[in-house]
Amino acid sequence: MLSPSLYIIVCTARNRLRVRLRRLREPRYLIGAVAGAAYLYFSFLGRMWGERAGSARRGRRTPTPDTVLLILRTAGAGVAGVALLVMATLGWLLPVRSGLLDFTEAETQFLFPAPLLRRDLLIHRLMRSQLGLLFAAIVPAIAFPSDSVASRARFALSMWLLLVTSKVYFAGVTLARARLASSGAGARRIAWLPIGLFVAALMIVGNAVGREFLHRAPTTFSEGVTRLGGVGMHGLPGMVLWPFAALARPLFAVWPGGYLAALAGSLTVLGVTTAWMLRSDEAFQDAMAEAAERRAAKTEAQRTPTPRARTTGWTLRPSGRPEGAFLWKNAMQMLRATSGATLVRYLAPLIILGTVISSLMMSASQARGRAAAFCMMALAAAAFAVLLGPQVVRTDLRADLGHLELLKTWPVKASAVIRGEMLWPVCVVTLVGWLAIVCATIFSAAAFPEVTLAWRLSISSAAALLAPALVSAQYAVHNVTAVLFPAWVPLGDQRPRGLDAMGQRLILFGGVLVSLVVMILPGAVAGAIVGIAFRRFIGAAALIPAAAVCGAIVLIEVLMAVEAIAPAYERMDLVSVERGG
Amino acid sequence: MAISVEHLKRVFVDFVAVDDLSFEVGPGEIVGLIGPNGAGKTTTLRSLAGILRPTSGRVRIDGHDLLDDPLEAKRRLAFMPDEPHLFEYLTVDEHLRLIARLYGVADFERRARALVEELELVGRERSLPGELSRGMRQKVVIACGLVRDASVLLFDEPLTGLDPIGIRRMRETILARGRGGAAIMVSSHLLHLVEEICTRVIIMDRGRKIADGSVAELASRADLAAAGSSLEQIFLRVTGRDPVLPEPRSPC
Repeated sequence: MLSPSLYIIVCTARNRLRVRLRRLREPRYLIGAVAGAAYLYFSFLGRMWGERAGSARRGRRTPTPDTVLLILRTAGAGVAGVALLVMATLGWLLPVRSGLLDFTEAETQFLFPAPLLRRDLLIHRLMRSQLGLLFAAIVPAIAFPSDSVASRARFALSMWLLLVTSKVYFAGVTLARARLASSGAGARRIAWLPIGLFVAALMIVGNAVGREFLHRAPTTFSEGVTRLGGVGMHGLPGMVLWPFAALARPLFAVWPGGYLAALAGSLTVLGVTTAWMLRSDEAFQDAMAEAAERRAAKTEAQRTPTPRARTTGWTLRPSGRPEGAFLWKNAMQMLRATSGATLVRYLAPLIILGTVISSLMMSASQARGRAAAFCMMALAAAAFAVLLGPQVVRTDLRADLGHLELLKTWPVKASAVIRGEMLWPVCVVTLVGWLAIVCATIFSAAAFPEVTLAWRLSISSAAALLAPALVSAQYAVHNVTAVLFPAWVPLGDQRPRGLDAMGQRLILFGGVLVSLVVMILPGAVAGAIVGIAFRRFIGAAALIPAAAVCGAIVLIEVLMAVEAIAPAYERMDLVSVERGG
Repeated sequence: MAISVEHLKRVFVDFVAVDDLSFEVGPGEIVGLIGPNGAGKTTTLRSLAGILRPTSGRVRIDGHDLLDDPLEAKRRLAFMPDEPHLFEYLTVDEHLRLIARLYGVADFERRARALVEELELVGRERSLPGELSRGMRQKVVIACGLVRDASVLLFDEPLTGLDPIGIRRMRETILARGRGGAAIMVSSHLLHLVEEICTRVIIMDRGRKIADGSVAELASRADLAAAGSSLEQIFLRVTGRDPVLPEPRSPC
C-alpha cells in the first residue's frame, strides 16, 4: 500500500502546487501572493533572520539561559507529561473522535473495494496526514525563540513526533472504543482494560500531585511549575508518567547528548503507539460504520434545515419594489438558518467579549454596581454591533454570489439588487445597535454619574442617529468590494487556502478600512462644523444635529456608491466568482 | 425574431468556448441545441440568458439587445439551467412568489397552482430545496421559469434527474409552450427527444455551429445523405465521430 499511497500523496501535492502556481498568472492571485509572502516574511522569517543577524553581530555569544528557560529544561517534560496523561485519559472518556478515520468520499470509493488490508488503509491515512502535521510542527518552530536554524529544526522534529504520536493514539482510541460495547465478554474486557489502566494512572499521578501541593502551597508560579515537573521524576508516578514525559522531552532537551537520548525515547513511544493502533484494526469495520453514520448524519444535518424554521408568518406581497423582495428573501434565509446552536456559537464569544470589554471600561471609569455593569455591557454590545456587525452578519451580496447565476437572469436593475441585498442585514444590525444604545442610556446614570442628563441623552441620540449610517457605510464597502473583486470574496462556508488567498484577505481588510475612513470623513467634518456652530446656542444638544448631518451625508454617499457600482455589477461575469480554492 | 444571435463569441482566458455563432429562432419554433461534451452549448445558453457576457457579438431577445437593454430582454426570457440553483431557505411556494414579484406576474396564484399540478409538485409547496430530490428541484427551477409568460424559453438539459413520467410530462410542457408561441431552445444529449420535439436542430462542435436545419433538411443534405435519416446518425457524421464512414466534416 505504501507506493499507491505515496503516489496519491505526491500527485495530489504536485497538482495542488501546479494549480496554485498556474493561477499566479492572474494578477489578483499574484498580488495576493506577494502580500501574503510579505506578511509571512515580516511576521516570522524576517524576525527569525533578524535574530540570527543580531546574534552574529553580538559575536555569536551563547545567550544566557534565563530563569524561564532553566525551569522549562528541568521541569518542562514533567509538566507536559502530566498534561498529556490528562489528555490521553480524556480521550477515552470524552466523545472525541480521531480525524484519521474520516476517509474522503474518493478514498471510500476507490480504496475500500480495492484488495487492501485494513491496516493498509490506516497506514494510508496516517501518511496522508503527514503534510498537515509537518506544517503544524514547522509554524511553532519558526516562532520558537532561537538563534540557529538547527535548533529550530530540532524543535520542529520534536513537535512533529509529539503531534504524530497524538494522532496515532487518538485513532487507536477511536478504534478501540468501537469495541467497548462488543457482544463478546472477552473482547469487551480487553476493550475496557486501557480505560481502567488510564484511570489508575491518573489516580496515581493525581495522588502524587495532591501530596506535593496540599501540605504546602507554592508561593510563586515558577515554584509551582518546578514542583509539578518533579512529580514524575521518581517512584511509581515517574514510571506511570514516563511515556508521556518521554514524548515531550525532546522539546526541552539540550543538544546533542540529551536531545538524542530524548529523541530515542520519543521514537520508542511512537513505535509502540503505532503498533497498538494497527493491532486495533479489527475494530476498523465498527469504527468505519460509526464514521459513516456520523458522516451521513452530518450531511443530513447540512441538507435538512431545522424543522421549527418552517413558518415565519411573513408572506411576500405580489407587487412592490424589487428591493423589498430581496429584503424578504434575506430575512427568510436568516430566520430559517438561525438555530439554537448557531445562536450559541455566535452569542457565547460575544458575551465573553462583551464582559471583558465592559469590565475594562468599568475598571477605567471606576464604576460600581449592577446598573453600571449593565450599562457598560450595553455600550460594549452597541459598539460591537455597529463596528463589527457587518463583518459577522453577511446575509447580503457576499452570501449571494453563489446564486449569481440566478440573480443575473432577473430583470432587476443592478443598483436595486445591491440595495436590496444590503437592506435586511442593515436593518438587523442597526436594530441590535439601537437596542443596546437604549439599554445603555437607561442605566447611564449609574455608570456615568458625573455626566449630566442632557449630555447623556444627547450622546445617546447622536449615537442612534449615526448607527444606521455607519452600518450602511460598512455594508456598502463590503458589497462594493464583492462586486469589484468577486473572486476575493469566499462563497458560503468555503475558505480559500494558500499564500495568495491569505494575501487577498489582508489586502481586502486594509482596503475596507481605508474605504470606510474615506467615506465617513466628509460627514464627520460637516458634522463637526454643525456641532461647533450649534453648541453656543443649544449646548450638549448640538450633538444631535451634528450626528444627523454626518449620518445624512454618509447615507447619501452610500446611495451614490451603490449607483456608481451598478455598471460593474452588470459587467460582472459568472467566471469571475471564486469557486473553491 | 424572438432570438437573434449575431457572431457570438465567448473566450475563457485562452479557451474559445463559442466562436462566431449566429442564428435566429422565431416564435413557436423549438430548436434543439446538440453537440459533444465541451461543444459550447451551455456557454451559448448562458450567454443568451445574460449570465455570461459575450466577448463579442450581439444577442437580441424580442428585439431587445441583451447588453444595451438588459432589463427588457431578461423580462422576456426564462432560463432553466441543468443544475438546479435554488435558495436553500425558501420553500417551493416562496420561490414562485419571489419570481412573480420580480417579474410582475399579475395572476400569480392561479398560475402557480396550475404549474404545481402540471409539474407534479402538489404537496411539496411548503418544502425547502434540501427536502426535495434532485428531480424535484429541477421541476422547481422549471416552474420558476414557466410561472411567467416568457416569450423565450431556454432549457439546458431539462430532463436531468427526472423520472420517466417526469420526462414525458416535460416533453408535453415544452411542446405546449411551443404551440403557445414561445421561442424555445433545448440543449440535450437525448437525441431521440430532440428529434421528437424540435422543429429545428443546431449542431455545435468546438464552439462553432456545424449544422442547422430540421432533421429532414439535414438528412437530405448531399454530404449527409449517406449517414442515414436519424438524428443520431446525422450527429455522428457531422461531428466526424461516425465510426463507419470517417469522412472530413463539411461546413453547413
